[in-house]
Amino acid sequence: MDESLIILIVLSLCLGAGCWLIFIWAVKKGEFEDVEKPKHRMLDDD
Amino acid sequence: MSMLPEQTCSHCGISFRWKAIKESADDDCQTIFCCRGCQGAYHMICAAGLENFYLRPDRATPTVMEGSVLPYTDIDLSQHIVSDGDSCRIDILVSGITCPSCVWLLERMLDRIPGVEYVSISYSGGIASLRFNPETVAPLDIFSVIAGLGYVPRPYSADQSEKEARRERDDLLLRFGTALFLTMQLMAYSYALYAGYFQGIGGAMKQFLQYVSLLVTTPVVFYSGWPFIIGAWRSLKTVAPGMDLLIAMGALSSWSYSVWATFTGQETYYESSAFIVTFVLIGRLLELSVRRRAMSGISSLYAAAPQRATLVGGSTPLTKRSLSGVEGHRTIEVDDIRPGDLLLVRQGERFPVDCLIVEGETEVDQSLATGESQPVLLVCDNEVRSGCVNVAAPVTVQALRPAGQSYLMRVAALVQMAQAGKPKLQQLADRVSGWFVPVVILLALLVGAGRLWYFGENPGSAIMSALSVVLIACPCAMGLAVPAAVLAACSRSASLGIILRGGDVIERLASINSALFDKTGTVTCGLPGIIQFDIYAGYDAAVVLQAAATVEEQAAHPLARAIVRYAAAHGYQPESCRAFRSVPGRGISGLLPDGKKMLCGSESFLRGEGVSGNIECQSESAATAVLLAIDGQLAGRFLLVDQLREGARSVVSELAAERMELCLISGDHQITVDRIAADIGLESALGEMTPDQKLAHVTTLLQQGRQVLMVGDGVNDAPALAAATVSCSLSGSSDIALENADVIITGDDLSRIATAYRISRATMTIIKQNLLWAFVYNIIGIPLAMSGHLTPVYAAVAMTASSLLVSLNSLRLMRFTHHG
Repeated sequence: MDESLIILIVLSLCLGAGCWLIFIWAVKKGEFEDVEKPKHRMLDDD
Repeated sequence: MSMLPEQTCSHCGISFRWKAIKESADDDCQTIFCCRGCQGAYHMICAAGLENFYLRPDRATPTVMEGSVLPYTDIDLSQHIVSDGDSCRIDILVSGITCPSCVWLLERMLDRIPGVEYVSISYSGGIASLRFNPETVAPLDIFSVIAGLGYVPRPYSADQSEKEARRERDDLLLRFGTALFLTMQLMAYSYALYAGYFQGIGGAMKQFLQYVSLLVTTPVVFYSGWPFIIGAWRSLKTVAPGMDLLIAMGALSSWSYSVWATFTGQETYYESSAFIVTFVLIGRLLELSVRRRAMSGISSLYAAAPQRATLVGGSTPLTKRSLSGVEGHRTIEVDDIRPGDLLLVRQGERFPVDCLIVEGETEVDQSLATGESQPVLLVCDNEVRSGCVNVAAPVTVQALRPAGQSYLMRVAALVQMAQAGKPKLQQLADRVSGWFVPVVILLALLVGAGRLWYFGENPGSAIMSALSVVLIACPCAMGLAVPAAVLAACSRSASLGIILRGGDVIERLASINSALFDKTGTVTCGLPGIIQFDIYAGYDAAVVLQAAATVEEQAAHPLARAIVRYAAAHGYQPESCRAFRSVPGRGISGLLPDGKKMLCGSESFLRGEGVSGNIECQSESAATAVLLAIDGQLAGRFLLVDQLREGARSVVSELAAERMELCLISGDHQITVDRIAADIGLESALGEMTPDQKLAHVTTLLQQGRQVLMVGDGVNDAPALAAATVSCSLSGSSDIALENADVIITGDDLSRIATAYRISRATMTIIKQNLLWAFVYNIIGIPLAMSGHLTPVYAAVAMTASSLLVSLNSLRLMRFTHHG
């Protein structure tokens, strides 16, 4: 039982690290520059 | 008086009463425009196939100013273009974006210009980034499209400080994101450990969970918390304990305690160090975003028109492209002007340098330099200071000084001097931690020493109990107390039309006990307004008003503009006027469409033109009278005064109720200043003050130990604004005043200054409550920790609860209103 817990914890760490890398990529790409426009854009038809 | 019915413009949506431009579309619906500019914009949009724009419910389009000329040439713009392979990039700051529909429209309109490859507009900053093919389209064409839609485009390049701010924000975002991810992981392990604490847990499992916690917490403390550690180190070196030291102490002590506990099988406190760092980083990020939003609002107010002047003949070598086709006239950069150069200053232009009039006579708006609201008649051999506006007729002037030594630059130098001499106030949070930190360290040392010698415990556990005192003493609530309240106050005041630049402004504003108001442009609108319109016997008001509007339409004088506005508001649009003539400082004349001769001007002007009739009219108070005569017969009279701004009286009474010392301070004549002061209920008024006298007055008050609020809008206020404890400007003020303003009031209502003061007082109350709560937490927690009774679970619950309490308490500021 302990082994499965350890595997799960390691797995969650890997998942977290993956998300963290995506986050870093997003910051560098400037995805957080303008957080106002996207919420309006989704209402446009085209 | 006959009035036209109210109509609504199909493009900009304003309601108006004057003669509309009507058009019949192919179907039977009719389009109505308030002006030709709007008509042009409408056709532009429809030609691009974007009629859908008019169906959008949230659109708020600016009214298009017809015939406005862009103050740029392709050469000016070429400096802002970045070449990128085959295509070019340019950033354009667009003023007038008020709604998402504006972004929608602009993006599509610009995208449809042939040669434009990519366009993206940021809603919050109003900056359009374009990529285009320089062979197909010129940047000026892009600018004309934006201007044609009624928005104001300006070339934009991010300066050094802006790039710096952006890097700082990205860095903070990365540190915060990392801390958040790791803290979330950590919580899972902590819950397991909490459960184990109550229900029992295998020794190996507990050990493993603590190792993993150590693994995820270490980067939070040493990467995400690095700015605090650096700040703490700096404050240790300067022996100035501050907030950073408190946070670093808390995070490091709980981290090192937990490392020790991990290896000796005790309970760990990892989540407390990770929490402190994450929560305080949230606070910092929120504060930064407040400041950034304020900055972007301000940069869009700057009028960054290029500085140019027209040289007449002269000896300056031709280095720049000549723009005008007139023989002997060349356009040069202001920096290239040398003393002795002859310059042509046209009607409506600003004088580029300090100069002497050598040919012609004109009226000059000197409000920039003197604060005087009415234009002054200047003739040959009169000196004009740079930045003043020529309102009446073109004149030739001789430059006296180069641009660098002219009036505007001398004021800029005064401003720099005032800024350098301004003492930096220590912030409340830093003042509090200034004595809190030493007390905590002292307590921790006492506990450690007591345990070691009095109770005879071993050194290891003595050090640990000393550390536990430090980590309990540093709750997240302490780190959140200020940023949470500041964020709530800044967002609330922004929605009330008050821009506060940074959290420290709130603190300084709350301490104000003296307020100085500039007159022209601040307490008054700086524009004359009509208080009375009289008709002489035998004339019809409608005919006279229509005739006045027709002739005054041709003049650029502020009095003339006021009369045209007054006529338009009553539903009269100017008709075509012939044989227009203007005599600077006296009056104007012109022929009406029906051939009658119309005269508008002062009493002496009408006498000089041979008008008969009883001209003598007592003009009440200090109002300016403009007399009207049709075909030599006196027909009507306007009385105009510089109008008080909305809320001027209420701001005075509200601030006086707070027992504040108030004073009106102006460059205008003492009599005028006294009259306005009496009008708004001020007892003291200082007139005929130069920029350096204003600065000296502020400095004297500061030396007397007073905290001074300076409210001003002009260039002549800038040094005083820079020196004052808190400075306040209105949107639409001069650039230099806005740059030096801590508080910016958007819109025209002056009573918002009182609101800003009240909101800052309320914020300080909330901050004090927050800090008080943090102390209550400590008063309960520290003795428990000293006696070794505080277990990690209770510490974690107490910490979360107190952080929540502080955040909710701060949110109370969001309910603040203008009158509450």
